[in-house]
Amino acid sequence: MKITTIKLLIFIGLLSCKTNSENKEEAEYIPQEKIALQQDQSSESYKRGKLVYDDFCVTCHLPNGKGIPGNFPPLDGTDWLTDKRTESIHAVKYGLSGPITVNGVKYNNVMVSMGLTDQEVADVMNYINNSWSNAIKKPVTIEEVKAVKK
Amino acid sequence: MKSNLLLLLTVGIFSLTACAQKDTTIQPAQTTIEHEVVVDGLDIAWGMTFLPDGSILITEKSGEIIRFQNGNKQTLTGGPEVYHRGQGGLLDIILHPNYVENGWIYMAYASSEGEGDGGNTAIMRTKLNGNQFTNSEVLYKATPNTTRGQHFGSRMVFDKDGYLYFTIGDRGNHNENPQDITRDGGKTYRIHDDGRIPQDNPFVGQAGAKEAVYSYGHRNAQGIILHPETGEVWVHEHGPQGGDEINVIKKGENYGWPAVTFGENYGGGAISDLTTHPDMEDPIHVWTPSIAPSGFTYVTSDKYPSLKGNLLVGALKFQYLEHVVIDGTDVQRREKLLEDIGRVRDVKQAPDGTIYVSVEKLGIVKLIEKEVSGTE
Repeated sequence: MKITTIKLLIFIGLLSCKTNSENKEEAEYIPQEKIALQQDQSSESYKRGKLVYDDFCVTCHLPNGKGIPGNFPPLDGTDWLTDKRTESIHAVKYGLSGPITVNGVKYNNVMVSMGLTDQEVADVMNYINNSWSNAIKKPVTIEEVKAVKK
Repeated sequence: MKSNLLLLLTVGIFSLTACAQKDTTIQPAQTTIEHEVVVDGLDIAWGMTFLPDGSILITEKSGEIIRFQNGNKQTLTGGPEVYHRGQGGLLDIILHPNYVENGWIYMAYASSEGEGDGGNTAIMRTKLNGNQFTNSEVLYKATPNTTRGQHFGSRMVFDKDGYLYFTIGDRGNHNENPQDITRDGGKTYRIHDDGRIPQDNPFVGQAGAKEAVYSYGHRNAQGIILHPETGEVWVHEHGPQGGDEINVIKKGENYGWPAVTFGENYGGGAISDLTTHPDMEDPIHVWTPSIAPSGFTYVTSDKYPSLKGNLLVGALKFQYLEHVVIDGTDVQRREKLLEDIGRVRDVKQAPDGTIYVSVEKLGIVKLIEKEVSGTE
C-alpha cells in the first residue's frame, strides 16, 4: 500500500511537469511532421509565418502557443482567434495594451507594435491560426490585413 | 485511504505550483516606497536624461524625442531616423559628463543606414539648439543590417575617464555574433566621446576585429551603470528563458553566451550544458525565472536611505521595480517595489537625487521614500 502510494506520488509529480518535456519535443521535432500532415500548414504563408513567429512572438507566447498564465495570454485554443478575428489582426499589426480577457482569464499587459509588413502580419496569423490545436482554415489575406485600420 | 488521497492531491497541487513560472526568491519590500506620476501621456519612454535646467529629455521607442519642462511636453525635431521593428526603435539617451561645456547629447537607436535590408544599432551624438537637434554625428553603426526583430540592446554610460560604453545585443543571431569579435552584436563597446577607438581597447590590431569591442559573449544588455565607488562598468542582460544576469565588465573578457548560460530555450530545451567555464567570466547574479531586466541604477541619493548603495532594476516581465540589496558584488536580498505598476523600462537617478522610473503606457513616475521599517 505504502509503495503504491509513493509510486503514485512520483507519477503525479512527473505528470504536473510533463508540459516542460513536451515543449522540448515540440520545439525540436513536431513542427516538421505537422507541416506534412495538414494542407494549411504546407502553405508558403504558413511557413513564412513560422519564421515571423519564432522571431517576434515566441519569447512571450512560447513555442507551444500557451503563453504564461497571468502574464501573456495563450494563442493555442484562444477564443480571440475564433471570435475576434479583426481584433486579433489589429493586435498583431498595431500592438495591444490594457486589460483584455482571453478564455475567461484577465490580462493587463503591453504588446508593442512590431513594425511588421502587412504580408508578415497575414503570414504569422496563418501560422497561429493553424498551429497546435488551432484549425482556422480561412486564410488571412494581405487585403484583409490592409483593411484593418488603426 | 482517505488521507492518502488527500496527500496525493496536496502533492499534485504542490508540484503543479512548483512548475508554474513563479518567483519565490524575491521578498516583499521592507521599506515604504511610494510613487507619483510626473509625466503622463507617454507610450514607451525607453530612455530619459536630465538637463541642468531641471527639464527631462525623453526618448519614445517610436522615435519621438520629448522635452518635459515646467509641466509641459515639447516635441523636439532633428533627431535620428529610426528603424522601428520588433525590439528596435529609439533607445537610450544620455548626456556627456561635461555637457555644460560642450552640449553633447548621445542617443542609441536602431538604424537602417548602410547596405542591406533591415537595421542594426547605432550611436549618435548631437546638440540641442532650441527645440531642434543639430551637429548630429553617427559615432558607431553596427553591421550587417538584418530584419530580425530581437536584441538591439542598447544602453550607454560614460566611465570616470570619459570613455563611452554601450551595449549591442546579439540581434537574434546567437550562433554567429556573440562569440565572434569580428562581428557586431552580443558585445559591450568602448569608444572615445567623439567616436574614435581607444588604442588600448582589447582587440585593436587583431585581424578583422571590431576594434570598438570591449567585452563579448553577451546576449542583450538593456542596463548599464558606472559603479560610483569602484569605477567599474556593470551591465545586466536578458537571458533566454531563465538566466538573466548581472555582469561586471572587464576588458577583453568573454561572458559566455551562448556557450555558457543558466537559461534554456523558450518552452524548454537546453542551449548549453555549461553554466560556467574556466575561460569565461561568471555573472555576479543570475535571475531564474527571468525578470526581463531593463534600466539600471546604482542609488547614491540621500533621499532614499533604504535604497542607498543598492541597485534598482526594471522588470519588464513581472511589471515591478526590483531593489537589489548588495554588499560588494554579493546580492544579499531582492525586493519588489512598485508591484504591478506595469512594464518598467528605465530607472535613473537625477542630479538632484530624485529617482525617476519609466513605465510603459503609464509614463514617468518619481519615487518617494516615506518611512523605513525593519532593519537593513
